[in-house]
Amino acid sequence: MTSTDQTFTADPEDGTTFALTPGQIFRRRIFGHTGFLIGAGLILAIVLIAIFAPLLAPHDPYAQSLSARMLPPVWSDGGNPDYLLGTDQNGRDYLSRLIYGTRVSITIGLGAATVGLLIGVTLGVMAGYFGGWIDHAISFLLTAQLALPGLLLAMALVFIIGPSIWVVIGIVGVLHWTYYLVVTRAATQRIRSQDFVAAASASGASPRQIIWHEIMPNLLSSIIVIFTFELGIAILAESSLSFLGVGIQPPTPSWGLMIAEGKQAMFYRPWLVVLPGICLFLLVIGANLMGDGLRDITSPEGRNE
Amino acid sequence: MKVQRWRSLCAASAIALATSFAPAHAGPEDDTLRAAMAEEILNLDYNYTTKREYIILAQLTDATLFNLDPETQEVNPSIATAYKWQDDMTLDVTLRDDVKFHDGSTLTPEDVAYTYNWIANPESESNATGVVERWLDNAEVTGPNTVRFHLKSVYPLVLRDMANRIMIRKAGTYDPDGKINRDAMSSDLVGTGPYRVVNFEPGTELVLERFGDYFGEAPEIGNIVVRNIPDVGTQQAELMSGGIDWMFKVPLDLAESLGATPMATHLSGPDLRVGFLVLDAGGYTDPDGPLTNVLVRRAINHALNTPEMAEYLIGGSAEAIHTACHPAQFGCDQEAVAYPYDPEKAKELLAEAGYPDGFPLELWAYRDKAASEAIASDLAKAGIDVTLRYVKLESLNQARAARDIPAYFGTWGSGGTADTAAIARIHFSGESDRDMSGDKDLAELVLSAEQTADQEKRKEIYSEAIGKIADQAYWAPLFSYSANYLVSPQLDFPLDPDGLPRLQNSAWK
Amino acid sequence: MLRYIALRGLLALLVAFTVSLAAFLLLNVAADPAQAIAGEDATPDVIEAIRARYGLDRPLSVRYFDWLGGVLTGDFGESYYWHKPVAELVTDRADETITLALSALAVTIVIAIPLGAMAALNPNSWIDRFALGVAVSAQAVPNFWLGLIMIILFGVMVPIFPVSGDDSWKHFVLPAFVLGASSVPAVMRLTRTGLIEVMGADYVRTARSKGFRGWPLLRRHAMRNALLPVISVLAVQLGQKFGGSVITESIFAINGLGRLALESILGADIPTVQMLIFVFAIVFVVMNLIADILNAALDPRIRIG
Repeated sequence: MTSTDQTFTADPEDGTTFALTPGQIFRRRIFGHTGFLIGAGLILAIVLIAIFAPLLAPHDPYAQSLSARMLPPVWSDGGNPDYLLGTDQNGRDYLSRLIYGTRVSITIGLGAATVGLLIGVTLGVMAGYFGGWIDHAISFLLTAQLALPGLLLAMALVFIIGPSIWVVIGIVGVLHWTYYLVVTRAATQRIRSQDFVAAASASGASPRQIIWHEIMPNLLSSIIVIFTFELGIAILAESSLSFLGVGIQPPTPSWGLMIAEGKQAMFYRPWLVVLPGICLFLLVIGANLMGDGLRDITSPEGRNE
Repeated sequence: MKVQRWRSLCAASAIALATSFAPAHAGPEDDTLRAAMAEEILNLDYNYTTKREYIILAQLTDATLFNLDPETQEVNPSIATAYKWQDDMTLDVTLRDDVKFHDGSTLTPEDVAYTYNWIANPESESNATGVVERWLDNAEVTGPNTVRFHLKSVYPLVLRDMANRIMIRKAGTYDPDGKINRDAMSSDLVGTGPYRVVNFEPGTELVLERFGDYFGEAPEIGNIVVRNIPDVGTQQAELMSGGIDWMFKVPLDLAESLGATPMATHLSGPDLRVGFLVLDAGGYTDPDGPLTNVLVRRAINHALNTPEMAEYLIGGSAEAIHTACHPAQFGCDQEAVAYPYDPEKAKELLAEAGYPDGFPLELWAYRDKAASEAIASDLAKAGIDVTLRYVKLESLNQARAARDIPAYFGTWGSGGTADTAAIARIHFSGESDRDMSGDKDLAELVLSAEQTADQEKRKEIYSEAIGKIADQAYWAPLFSYSANYLVSPQLDFPLDPDGLPRLQNSAWK
Repeated sequence: MLRYIALRGLLALLVAFTVSLAAFLLLNVAADPAQAIAGEDATPDVIEAIRARYGLDRPLSVRYFDWLGGVLTGDFGESYYWHKPVAELVTDRADETITLALSALAVTIVIAIPLGAMAALNPNSWIDRFALGVAVSAQAVPNFWLGLIMIILFGVMVPIFPVSGDDSWKHFVLPAFVLGASSVPAVMRLTRTGLIEVMGADYVRTARSKGFRGWPLLRRHAMRNALLPVISVLAVQLGQKFGGSVITESIFAINGLGRLALESILGADIPTVQMLIFVFAIVFVVMNLIADILNAALDPRIRIG
């Protein structure tokens, strides 16, 4: 919040800055941004669903009833009003599994995007600021990470450590820091070569001070934007890994896993594939819209100004 | 509403598509049966492979000394016309004189002796070596059409092994000029079977054509093309558009849905494969673990609703089983004690065993995800805190070899052999890490059955062994499988009771 | 400059060897190749025979250095599965993946850059909102799910393009679209933000004051600087196409390196996995190198040394 305010007052272009307090502008920008409102609304709704899943879900998402398996949604022929969206191959209520799936996706999205942020930004700023052998070592790491198939890493780690949501967060996070790195490295390089950094350096500021006071504030908006993108990307990555069978393990309801399970019957029971895909889409689009909105709101060149 | 319309649209266009494309692709016009396999076909030499797909192909391209009748399990002549036991350790086999290899040469007894001696030789590193070296000392040519087999020990299943495992090759195939070449037949196969290889692109396509000089009854269909299509959904799309005529290992739901349309016929046949839970009764993962307690193992048996799993998840002719063998197998005595589904009883037994609040259990599985989840769910209902480890087969095997697995959902196909020997030896003789019973007496018992040629005696031994396994609940037997196929409506594909698909027996309607 | 290129070349090799070692260890930990070759109903003697045949009974270190020794003499070994030299296998299948990756990149460029540029030139117009909508949606769609939906749509309902195989250019249309779509948002956003940023810069304002407008302004003054970050991201994206080809090739049954990689990882075909990783690592480093050189050539402010 402080850095945001700094950005606003430091912006001489924004004529309104002097007429209103930063807080007022901030609120005005938030409520004037449709995309942000939609995105935040979606995310808020999904987070609420995740929190209140036990109250909302009509059934236990793990309770199977083999004789009631593969029921179609209620509006189709043979639908059963007890199971609004039908049941899966083990006769578990699909709606309840979709509802509990929000918990998996949100936990992993936030967790993994944070892990990726910590790794990527640290390395990116170091590489961009110090250059030299540190830069070489980090680009070595980057290349090594990109060259190693994530699938292999996921398979081995899930096997060795055992499947749990934390392992998947770790894997997805460790696989998704490169974007932070690439962008922060380039941006740091650019900023570092600018006069005000040289001036700060000449006036005796330590690298730590320069990084925290001169470079990080300038990186913040791009980091936020990347974080929100990575939030979506991490959710999608978890779903891909689960789809391939090396992410979330059954019977935990993960949307990617549900798509994989429904895939065999996709021509005849398309809802098994379509519904979890739509859920993923809504969650990720929510994250992205919110990210776009945040970027516009926090950056001085915001598009709605 | 929307989905409903979408589905009918989908089905309608699928039918339209199939009817418009069918004449262009379909099999009878060019007398070509197009079969799809998900598993990559990489090596055509069954002497150097093991997987089921390769048995199916070997049936087409190769012949063995004998054939087993899939109905009766009787030994029928094939390349051999007759056999005679000189004594317990000497077997004389008479060969046909009109057997031709695909390169036109005539089969000689030297070829037969060479093949057996090569495979029995550890140098060959053949996948069949383990089977043959148990009993074969050497094979010797004794006349223009006779071969004598000298055995190492009494072994009642010689003819079965001959029929199932050893594909006859020309003398010198694997070591021309003394230089070993184990891949000699992996792609340019010269066999004696009803079809010969025209073209083979490993992992992509295998083209076979009827072999005119085949010694047996000529198959009806002239050409067979086997395509590797890894994804079942893609196979299904191809079947609907007429690109393939035959697919197997079809998931039940898909088979039933597509079989209900005019685009494909769903065939469901029996399969000797059985599914079961192997429990670490021997305490390999934890010497004092709950699974070493027979009450806990019986509780697990009671906790599983196997009839429902068989009916809804495996389907077709699948049935719940209570023995550590397929009921159709010789010696699989159904008198063994059964533990019917009874979750309350399971809870009682757990409490009696000292686990009223259950215990944590890692359950490993590698196939039939829905069934794996159903098993985990049933065990959880009985109060056991189950973590399901659903992994690749290789990973499961790796962990089992390291003795890291307390319980797993395994399956066994017995190589299509309707004899308890084919499942008991590997699972209860202590020879492999699949045996987690830790029961030495049982191992001796199982091995003793292979030392006698007296069928009544063998039956007795297996009854005792199977009874003991059930009593001690070393396994929780689950269900038998069914083999589900989707075939083109124009194809007549007969099913055999041993569950092995024999494409050579198919015909156009 | 030459020194820099030589250094990066060295780095590429170093990466390739490190990653191949990591892959080797991970694979051996997660799965036993002999078991993978033997299959479901393998007996212990079959597995022993296979171990002896492929030398899998030797210690890990011996096997790794054996492989390394082979690589140094240009021999990547023989695949356990395919009974073929791995080098032959990889060169045979490289065409499909290169075709797929490049056509996917072409799809990305053709959609993303014009869209991004138009959006930047007309901020807040309908085209800007449309571009944003495309980006947000494309980003939120799980790639594998899009592939499945395409198969349902085109395989059955509208059979214009084949859904499996790699026999003709038609076979590549759907997979290239699916794979290309995943990069559209990132590239489009970067083009747009890059352009907007550059358009606000002093020298562009100067140019504008001299009467440059619209496309000429874009081409003569803004594009070059705006495309700077886009180029490095495109390089990263192309690298990700190779990785992304794993799922896409498997869904659409394309016999390329991605599918080969997936199958050999899942089947523990160690020699194949190692060579693929080796090749991917080198390709990736070379692409990064090209991106860096281009960046340096376009922007004198970035000095590499």
